[in-house]
Amino acid sequence: MGDLTRVTIDFDTSHLIFPTLIAILLGLLGLAIVIRDRARIAAAGGTWCRTWSAMDKPRFLGALALTLLYFSLMVPVGDIWPNTGMGFLLCSIPYLLATGLLFMHERGIRQVLPLLIVALVGPTFVWWLFTYPLFLTLP
Amino acid sequence: MFEIITPLFISLIVGGTLIGIIFGAIPGMTATMAVAVCLPLTYSLGLDNGLALLLGLYVGGISGGLVPAILLGIPGTPSSITTTFDGYPMAQRGEGEKALRIGIVSSLVGGLISLLVLDLFAPTLADFAIKFSYVEKFLIIFFALTVMAALSSDMLLGIFSGVLGIFVSLIGTYDISRGGNGELRLVPPGTEYWLESGFSLLPVLIGLFGLAAILEQAEIGVPKGHSASEVKVGKHTRFSFGVFKGESFNLLRSSLIGTFVGILPGVGGSAASIISYTNAKTFSKRPENFGKGEPAGIIASESGNNGLTGGALVPLLSLGIPGDSTTALLIGAFTLQGIQVGPLFIGNNPGTWDAMIIAMLIANIAMFAMMYFAIRYFALVVTIPKHILFPVILMMCVIGAYTINYGIMFDVWTLLIFGVLGWLFTKLRLEVAPFIIGFILGPSAEIYFIKSLESFGDVTIFFTKSWIAVILWVLIIGSVAGAVLMAKKNRQVAEEPV
Repeated sequence: MGDLTRVTIDFDTSHLIFPTLIAILLGLLGLAIVIRDRARIAAAGGTWCRTWSAMDKPRFLGALALTLLYFSLMVPVGDIWPNTGMGFLLCSIPYLLATGLLFMHERGIRQVLPLLIVALVGPTFVWWLFTYPLFLTLP
Repeated sequence: MFEIITPLFISLIVGGTLIGIIFGAIPGMTATMAVAVCLPLTYSLGLDNGLALLLGLYVGGISGGLVPAILLGIPGTPSSITTTFDGYPMAQRGEGEKALRIGIVSSLVGGLISLLVLDLFAPTLADFAIKFSYVEKFLIIFFALTVMAALSSDMLLGIFSGVLGIFVSLIGTYDISRGGNGELRLVPPGTEYWLESGFSLLPVLIGLFGLAAILEQAEIGVPKGHSASEVKVGKHTRFSFGVFKGESFNLLRSSLIGTFVGILPGVGGSAASIISYTNAKTFSKRPENFGKGEPAGIIASESGNNGLTGGALVPLLSLGIPGDSTTALLIGAFTLQGIQVGPLFIGNNPGTWDAMIIAMLIANIAMFAMMYFAIRYFALVVTIPKHILFPVILMMCVIGAYTINYGIMFDVWTLLIFGVLGWLFTKLRLEVAPFIIGFILGPSAEIYFIKSLESFGDVTIFFTKSWIAVILWVLIIGSVAGAVLMAKKNRQVAEEPV
């Protein structure tokens, strides 16, 4: 019995022991969920269709697309003026404005004007705060 | 002790509490989100001042949830769900201001009682935990994960979420500084450059609690804000402290329930308020009035959820295990300052410990003063348009993720990856709290597990090391068995014909 419970840890491969155990546990739990919820999983296609049809697609996908674009452009734009944080500033202003307009329900001048002010002042203030008092370089 | 109370320290607590109340009062935004968004600001503040800001946000965020719960019937934060049951009916009959003030006073009492428990209990538990070896430390983490999973709405999915969190936390190098061999694992080919140190904690947290929440709101079309005319505070019935007559036991019991629930890892404020509310109803002389505008219901709910604030800090500061998702974020503040929380924290950092207790006390008092005397203005917070707030929060999330490791763009992509994952979790019914606690505790669990086996060379050591290990196993088995029995009982109740 003593031999069965005895374990020798090889230091060179010790980085694989715990991840392997956790992966096995995760697999077993996943299997248990699949067995228990098989009916629900089989009907998952319908659930996802309902989620898709109930989703506000322009706002959800638009927010995702704008965020992807924002992240992708920040560094290339910043590289034009290195170590100035301009990439953040020049990308954040249109991003705030575009997402704000996307999330807005009525797009009259009374609603757009405060958003425009926030889109200009917000990133500019944050850029100033991080560049000068906090000395943290933004992209 | 009192030299830490500087004008800046107090301003940060008061400012944090104010911002927290605003976050809590806006449906769809939570205390956790407030802490996630403001975390990078603590970078330049130092630990004590940074914690002052974050603890103010925490207390304010939990308390602010009562405003829309009472005035609109929509819980501002999940922890104020039961406040809607009696708060909203009171507001509808013109007693909004009275209901709000009952909630504010109850929040203060709950917060102060839990703070007292924190002050008395955390150092004792830490002193005890210092004696733990790797074996007991591993079992404590195992116990925390089983309790958290057992109290999830679906135990199997809760355990899966927690284990998934551990798995994701193991991506990267087996850390040499913690006794590992420095080898990479679980890193897909071609991503070694970015994933050498795995995913950073803070972008993961900001993604799961900031971006994911906004994606959820975007999915439902970012509901329009409420107009000022919809917010009826009402002043037909004036508030008096006489309403608490006969409710002192309810207040104390609910505060202690909230504190105890807070001590349990990953359970969250909604459980604290629901258990407190259910108990108040069970032991009330007027149970039939609950749900129709009974002040005792608001007292139980609000003292319960604010009781959580101090309770959730107990396991964090004594064992290094976060009590809820917001305190998990506080680990980020410690990480930023290079300090590890655990049994040695209080003894090695008495100044910071004092600062936290004082900050919590001032935050509770500031929350009470601001909300009690300016509740009419806070009521208008629910009218702030989300189309302005959400883009600003998104920008702050990016700033937070980018600056946390001194400017690494991969952290911003991590934010996006985990933001989308957080949204997917809700669709797949996986639970974020167990995932994040698994993610935080995973690396420690690995070290304790491997070092226990390296030191003793026998797996039976986990059962035979000490009487503490035996007690922990009894607690682990008890928590799982209790959860299984409770799930079985709930299933039987659900299957019974009405």
